[in-house]
Amino acid sequence: MKHHSLFIILFVLAAAVFCFLAWRRLSLIALGKAEERFDDIPRRLRDMILFAFGQKKVLARPFGINHFVIFWSFIILLIANGDFIVSGLFPTISLRLLPASLHGPLLFLFDIVSLFALIAVLIASGRRLLFKLDTRYVKRRSLEGFLILSFIALLMIAYFGLHGAEIALGQEPLAGWMPVSTLAAGFFGCGSGCAGCGAACYLGFYWWLHAAVLLAFMIFLPISKHMHILTAIPNCFLAALDKPNTQPREEFAVNNCYGVVKVDDFTWKDLLDSFSCTECGRCQEACPATATQKPLNPRQVIHTLKTNLMANAAALKAGQEPLLPLTGAEGEGTNTREAIWACTTCGACMEACPVLIEQMPKIIKMRRHLVEMQSDFPEELLNLFENMEQRSNPWGIAPTERTKWHTTMEVKNFVAGETEYLFYVGCAGAFDSRQKHVTVALATVLNMAGVSWGILGKDEKCCGDSARRLGNEYLFDKMAKENVELFTSRKITKVITQCPHCFSTLKNDYRQYGLEIEVIHHAELLARLLQEGKIKLEHQVTELGRVLYHDSCYLGRHNGVYDEPRSVIAAVTGVNPVEAPRSRENAFCCGAGGGRMWMEEHEGERINIARVSEAVAALNAEQGAASTICVACPYCMTMFEDGLKDKGAVGVKVRDVAEIVAEGLRPVRDRRVI
Amino acid sequence: MTEVKKPIKKPRGKAQLIENRCIACGARCQSVCPVNCVEMNEAGEPIIDQSRCIGCVKCVTICPAQAIEMFFTPEEQALLDQLIAGADGKPEADDNSEELALAEKLSVYSGVWVFVEQTEGEPATVSWELLGKGRELADTLAVSLAAIVIGYGVENLCAEAFAYGADKAYLVDAPVFRHYRTESYLQAVCELIAKYKPEVILMGATGLGRDLAGAVATAVGTGLTADCTGLSIDDKRNLMQTRPAFGGNIMATIMCDRFRPQMATVRPHVMPMSEKQPGKNGEIIRETCPVREEDILVKVLDIISDRNKDNVDVAGAEFIVSGGRGMMGKENFTMLKELADELGGVVGASRSAVDAGWMPQERQVGQTGKTVRPKIYIACGISGAIQHLVGMQDSDVVIAINRDKDAPIFEVATYGIVGDLFQVIPAITNRLREIKAAKGLK
Repeated sequence: MKHHSLFIILFVLAAAVFCFLAWRRLSLIALGKAEERFDDIPRRLRDMILFAFGQKKVLARPFGINHFVIFWSFIILLIANGDFIVSGLFPTISLRLLPASLHGPLLFLFDIVSLFALIAVLIASGRRLLFKLDTRYVKRRSLEGFLILSFIALLMIAYFGLHGAEIALGQEPLAGWMPVSTLAAGFFGCGSGCAGCGAACYLGFYWWLHAAVLLAFMIFLPISKHMHILTAIPNCFLAALDKPNTQPREEFAVNNCYGVVKVDDFTWKDLLDSFSCTECGRCQEACPATATQKPLNPRQVIHTLKTNLMANAAALKAGQEPLLPLTGAEGEGTNTREAIWACTTCGACMEACPVLIEQMPKIIKMRRHLVEMQSDFPEELLNLFENMEQRSNPWGIAPTERTKWHTTMEVKNFVAGETEYLFYVGCAGAFDSRQKHVTVALATVLNMAGVSWGILGKDEKCCGDSARRLGNEYLFDKMAKENVELFTSRKITKVITQCPHCFSTLKNDYRQYGLEIEVIHHAELLARLLQEGKIKLEHQVTELGRVLYHDSCYLGRHNGVYDEPRSVIAAVTGVNPVEAPRSRENAFCCGAGGGRMWMEEHEGERINIARVSEAVAALNAEQGAASTICVACPYCMTMFEDGLKDKGAVGVKVRDVAEIVAEGLRPVRDRRVI
Repeated sequence: MTEVKKPIKKPRGKAQLIENRCIACGARCQSVCPVNCVEMNEAGEPIIDQSRCIGCVKCVTICPAQAIEMFFTPEEQALLDQLIAGADGKPEADDNSEELALAEKLSVYSGVWVFVEQTEGEPATVSWELLGKGRELADTLAVSLAAIVIGYGVENLCAEAFAYGADKAYLVDAPVFRHYRTESYLQAVCELIAKYKPEVILMGATGLGRDLAGAVATAVGTGLTADCTGLSIDDKRNLMQTRPAFGGNIMATIMCDRFRPQMATVRPHVMPMSEKQPGKNGEIIRETCPVREEDILVKVLDIISDRNKDNVDVAGAEFIVSGGRGMMGKENFTMLKELADELGGVVGASRSAVDAGWMPQERQVGQTGKTVRPKIYIACGISGAIQHLVGMQDSDVVIAINRDKDAPIFEVATYGIVGDLFQVIPAITNRLREIKAAKGLK
């Protein structure tokens, strides 16, 4: 190549700029706090292959296939482009040195893949142009996106032009392997290898076009959101292996600062997350707060983190205080308090994120600072924190009333060796009059199935879930230690919970405190008992009409229990439950998680109303007069009961999965006429 | 040469429980026992191990129900009688010297004081309620009742204090006291205490009163009992301060028998308002306090009044008529307002009624709203979800009106009416009017 010395200069310049820009951003990650993310390498590799190379979450959405095609085209064409650059720098070295039997198929692959990429890019551009954008968050169509798409398209066109011209000039002995390029060669004249028809000029033009686009792309990459091309794969490798809802413990000592108030209080992985986000918006679509016009948008939280990091980079590197606050008044690069408190910790954002960004834990970290350092939280929470601290339940009811639910039945206390399971009733199960019905129903079913169980009675304490999700880690720490001590001293090894929040806290969070016990949610136990034939139904429950199952976030998304409650409903009613449009992994929160149960919802539509409307519409689409929404969580129960009343949805009832089983255990003659 | 008589050791006796007297107050005898010889049984009554009892009488003294007495064997009793006879009926001096010194120290303090709280010259009614109670205490102690009036241009409040029962008023009137600030008021009250040594000081358990009382008690080194519901004087001239403890499950009577003044705060509306006697006169004692404006760190820049807001005080109301989702609409709350007006109360609401926009946020009762303790709480069309119950279950009387007989509100209701509230409420209002009319005729 005659201009190859010019190319060398351009390439070295572009590579230097690329390295500088990429380093300038990625070096900021080192500002973050330490965090262990290199344990269990095999599992990390598996996650990386599944989510990065397998594009599992990208493909979960119909349009994901287009990204899949572009992604893999990119990977494959990396070889072709690498060859292009190497042979540009050192004309003697190229893939042509390979035997034709290997080079030929490679060229065929590049040719086809380039065509696919071109088509995918055209489709993507079409989608960007034709589909409506959610104008609440995207002010205008991002120029960046179109720029990148046109870069890719140009690269593909240049590829075909370049190889077409070569074929036209008869310089390509392996033209037979390149159907698309051969087709392109047709545009350059006879296509049969005769010289002097201008193809030589085209060859030079397309070669330089290809080179220019490639180098421009390289420079543009690190300064755009398309940085994810570099960071997404490592981000999947470094993703959290723990349950996402299990926030790390804190060490309490004098002069410690808790939670996150400055961007460098985040860990390095949190900062890497911000560079891995390509602002696809799947998290904001899934977020119940965003969907109901709350000031929180998980995508914005990640974007804010990046903006704040960039804005404060110089100051932080110089060891000074950041100039732009991370939490405070509304503005670019700052999260509002209202946004931080709007999160239900449902985890839908994390479930949706194709590159495994952890949005929700960052919100909890910011809450921690607000609560533990600034004592700045919605005033309703003062009551809650006081009640949890002083009386170990959210309502501040006397602990002696924990046993009131079983005034109508004999209940044994848990004694190690005599009783197998501890039935951890939970605060709602013990105090909330609606949930007490569930407790009694479950206790009855357990007795009829011959399960050996006991309770802690008035010695039971609150698990502390709300305190932890609300960032009051100090309170949670105290409660967790008390409970672990209680469980250890009573030699408890197996626990049944009826609340997914207790379930997840006992099972996952207490592990950080050294408590390794078997914790099962009652839906799991009921499914097992039904399967083993230990629950003998008196009749098939039809009086509840069609039953829709609503997934609790802490049972489903956070702990993967999806099938058990459904199998229970199917076994008891004889038909599979009705599914809401958003169910299982994509289920929509009831609005009470993350401590939202104890706060007012001042802005936008109420989350529970949105969910109830969705469920009722799904039920209405089914035949039948009566219908029931089945839940497996006391918070969901409250939210649905309230939501149905607010909507005036007559004829729709809410039942816990245990109540549906208890219904089936009632002798036929006792059946209530509904 | 006088005969040295070997003193006979005074028998101390052993503590024993008097049957059926124990009120299971919460193991005070156990906690006070210096030799840990008191165990509590299931019922919360003490089991005293007499072999270890040293007869220190601490459990006897602390027992609020006088359920523990000292037991002497016949021999000890004989010895005791002999000692008393030998001393010619004079009280024992040796063991009680400490007690006497204390009594002497405490006897310096005399008089009952009530702090008259004012904001921009507007007195808080709780102060007048406390003067009523203070009058009673002062009469029992046979001492005078004084009002503490601090502010700027507030002399008129002294006259009002006399009308509500004060014998005299200590007035500290200076520009520096125009607005309440902890530092200045604390200094003024402490100087008055040092000079006049009262034995009892009462303050309202308001935002201001809670702040000042705590600061004063700390500064003068005495005890303070917050949120008392009952105040009386025992036979040793000690103030018995009764308040709910452990979430209202028990009533605790708290004494401050070794320090003076004895301080207590009382929430508004707890004590009855005494009859005003206009024209009653008293002595105004003017005091100056050398507080300098420039020494006070806190400056009042601006006073933001909440007057223009819906300033109905749901939390402090004695009668509340509350409406929930069952009210069906905003317009139906006028029905509740009519009933509340007849009772002299206010209208409250559940969260759903507030959410629906039927009532302002300030009226919300429950976990995320106000916690109320009225004399009568009438819940209309409120099902009684736990979030609401925790905000009102401490009301003296709860009357629930609901169509659904299974509604959880009936679990906490003193009286439950299952029926259509659109018929029940007007019926109650009309009956009240009839009664009032009938009384008016007589």
